[in-house]
Amino acid sequence: MTALAAPAREAAAARRTRAELATDGVVVVVVVAVLLAGLSTDRFVSVANAKAILTSASLVGVCALGLTLIMIGGSAVSLAISQTVAAVGMVFLSAQSLGLVPALLLAVVVGALVTGVQGAVVGHAGANPVVLTIAASFAIAGVATGVTDGVSVSPSGTGYDHLNATPAGLPLSVYVLVALTLGVEWTLRRTGFGRSLYLVGENRRAARAAGLAVGRTTTLAWLGAGALFAVTAAFTAAFNTSANVNLGGTLTFDAIAAVLAGGTPITGGRGSAVRTFLGAVLIAAVSDILLLRGYSTGVQVLVKGLIVLGVVVLVHLRTRSRQA
Amino acid sequence: MRRLRLARPELLLPLTAFGLTLVVFLLTPTWADVELSSFDVYNTLQILARLGPLALALGLTMIAGEFDLSVVGTYALGGMLTVQLGQDDWRVGLLAAVGTGAAIGLVQGALIAGLRLPSMPVTLATYIALLGLTSALSDGLTKTYSNIDVTLWVDQPVLTVFSPRSLITLGLFALAALLLAGSRWGRELRAIGGDRRASRVAGVRVGRLLVATFAASGALSGLGGALLSFSLGSANPDPGVQPLILAAAAALLGGVSLAGGRGAPLGLLAGILAVALLAEVATVAALPSYVTQLFYAALLGVIVVVDAPDLHAGVTRLRTHLRPPPVPPAEETP
Repeated sequence: MTALAAPAREAAAARRTRAELATDGVVVVVVVAVLLAGLSTDRFVSVANAKAILTSASLVGVCALGLTLIMIGGSAVSLAISQTVAAVGMVFLSAQSLGLVPALLLAVVVGALVTGVQGAVVGHAGANPVVLTIAASFAIAGVATGVTDGVSVSPSGTGYDHLNATPAGLPLSVYVLVALTLGVEWTLRRTGFGRSLYLVGENRRAARAAGLAVGRTTTLAWLGAGALFAVTAAFTAAFNTSANVNLGGTLTFDAIAAVLAGGTPITGGRGSAVRTFLGAVLIAAVSDILLLRGYSTGVQVLVKGLIVLGVVVLVHLRTRSRQA
Repeated sequence: MRRLRLARPELLLPLTAFGLTLVVFLLTPTWADVELSSFDVYNTLQILARLGPLALALGLTMIAGEFDLSVVGTYALGGMLTVQLGQDDWRVGLLAAVGTGAAIGLVQGALIAGLRLPSMPVTLATYIALLGLTSALSDGLTKTYSNIDVTLWVDQPVLTVFSPRSLITLGLFALAALLLAGSRWGRELRAIGGDRRASRVAGVRVGRLLVATFAASGALSGLGGALLSFSLGSANPDPGVQPLILAAAAALLGGVSLAGGRGAPLGLLAGILAVALLAEVATVAALPSYVTQLFYAALLGVIVVVDAPDLHAGVTRLRTHLRPPPVPPAEETP
């Protein structure tokens, strides 16, 4: 029996390495292509532009870290990110009279709660996260419009301006992104929560059978995600100095693009914070190149979508070759 | 031939939803200071015409056990192509919209069926790309359609309450109902939604069926966008998620399950009529738009939670958790 199994296993191993080599090759080609496109673009190689890329990557990146938690846990995506960020940004600015730190804490709590409730429903009841978060996005935008009468919220203090600081010439949000990336990565690799999150994402039913608290783990992941969305919200609101329902802009899709471009499969069980960080930088660099070359926002979004499609296919093929 | 049973969710849910909303609609004059007229029925059918193709597209893929998020992207692109290519001849615009939609669906279906990819990430990526493409085609601006004759024609009243647009949409539903009820296609569609592996073993050509379903979904979405552009006389590069919300709510109210394998076009029609009636009530009663928005969010949220697979298990667990320890049976005293 072993004599028969051994060659089959070797063949499978050979096939696996071939498929993985092929996908790795594609990744290298893409990165080289992006670099070449960048180098051949005017004004791409400059300190100011590098800062611009990092700044735009930092706001999307923090959000994307939150989405990474959701995706690793196997609850697909949240399509309510933009609306959550907008609403939390309003809360953050209108709470400025309390001082910067209390306002920040309040924002994080609100973000975590709003997102955590959705996570609890997804985790405990197994509700479809896509449709649920579409409903949530509608609800959040509706409440925000109702409360503010559709008017922009102005800050009730000036403490928020500290978030616009640029220590050593780089925006504060970049440092925050790096610190949070390391923090999330550590949580995923070194804590019991992180390990059970991967297991829940890999196979929900098996995780439940093994006695893992699937509902609680999922809820915790969404709570964390909401807190990270709130951090992005605070920085975005501080940068804009006012907040309305449209503050979130295209963040939902940008964050999804960053996580997927980092190679985290939407089906869960795999992925890392560092990969998401790299994905965010890649997407920001591509957008930057397209912008410098004079392409419209539409083309930038189109390319983002195509990148996501390509990575989804690639990641899937690679995962399948590993399972084969 | 299966017996008709009202307790089946694909019948019970749409009928209840339609019945309840009809009652709410008819009672509107008692709580809002308005009177209903035949124009309100016409308007309800216009809302049906606006959402119908999209809900049918989403519903068909949901019956097959997939979820086509790209319908709103195809809807936007279809509308834009109709306006930009159909200025001189509306047929060119319509053909471009439906053809492009079908082509997009074919590619997505081939990816999903051929590589056995999950449909959600694929259609999400396509959705993003299509919104970008539509915006790139129009420089991010709303484009106007100058062929007034077509705009007037699609919305002219027919038999007081209908319009060519709502009749076309009703025709689509009738066609889908005939196809799904009377052909092997319908049974196979529900079969692959219910249990993909079993139906593959049973000889259903799953791949081909999926490609066809996604192509139909794309063509319907493109057609929906084209009809909307004809009616509005313009095309908006970003329709937002509202059409998706309403289409999803209509499909779920129509008795289609997110888990797949369940649903029928006539149930879908009842679901979408329910949503259209509610939208008309909101318009007639002049509710602020955010209230309507909250209402739809709550509606969709409730259906998703009720449809959630682990809910019953969770409730049972909670009940056993909370239940007081069983009281030992009292000793019988003779």
